[in-house]
Amino acid sequence: MSERLLRAGLFAVGAFAIGYLLPGTLQLPGFFYDPAHRVIAFGRAAPSPWMRYYGDFLYATCAAALAFALVFKLPRSKSSLSIATGTALSLVALDVLFYLSRLLTSV
Amino acid sequence: MLVVHAVVGFTAVFSTTHHAAYAVLSALGRQNQRALRRFGWIAPSSLITQLLLGFALYPTYRIRVRALDFDRNAPFFSQLFDFKEHLAALSLMLVLAAALAARIKESPSQETRWSIAALSSVGALFVWTTAVIGLVVTARHPV
Repeated sequence: MSERLLRAGLFAVGAFAIGYLLPGTLQLPGFFYDPAHRVIAFGRAAPSPWMRYYGDFLYATCAAALAFALVFKLPRSKSSLSIATGTALSLVALDVLFYLSRLLTSV
Repeated sequence: MLVVHAVVGFTAVFSTTHHAAYAVLSALGRQNQRALRRFGWIAPSSLITQLLLGFALYPTYRIRVRALDFDRNAPFFSQLFDFKEHLAALSLMLVLAAALAARIKESPSQETRWSIAALSSVGALFVWTTAVIGLVVTARHPV
């Protein structure tokens, strides 16, 4: 049970990392919130101070929940947990490196 | 609300650190499943609370701090804050996955314990980084 939960959790982490990075990077349509007028809109891009953080977080959470449910329902896999852990952490590292590169270009 | 955000932030930092420490000890063979299970609900609960407080504060930051100050005078701090938000989101998933798997009562295999330790440790590292960046940004211009 623990291994099955962990495997589902690892897939959820990987899906979250992908679902969090892609919408903003590829300018996919998403939810935007205007904090000045308290309005929510759906689109590809919006001017400042519109925020797409909530929308991207929602995408990533849905992707993670879907991945978790799918892997948890699948029959028990014989693939190595270490490889699944390495893959999930590599996807997280990819996100971090991308955001770090954006931070460093602003210096 | 910023003070509450800071206090819950410290709770999140220390609970995720404890969880990571117990997960690594468990992987090394010094099992303390009771402590691991206890921090297995404290760490994610504090992180989720912290995230919700951050969500509530974010619109105010966006207008009063980012639009009026950082975007004009200190664009690096805008990017630094964004980086912090991304790390916070990723750390939540890592800690949630580790805590969920570590809460099971049955005795996990060595490979499972090391995977939990890896997720929990990276999650705790991200939470520490998030907290330090949060303090730096707040020192520059609080909400």
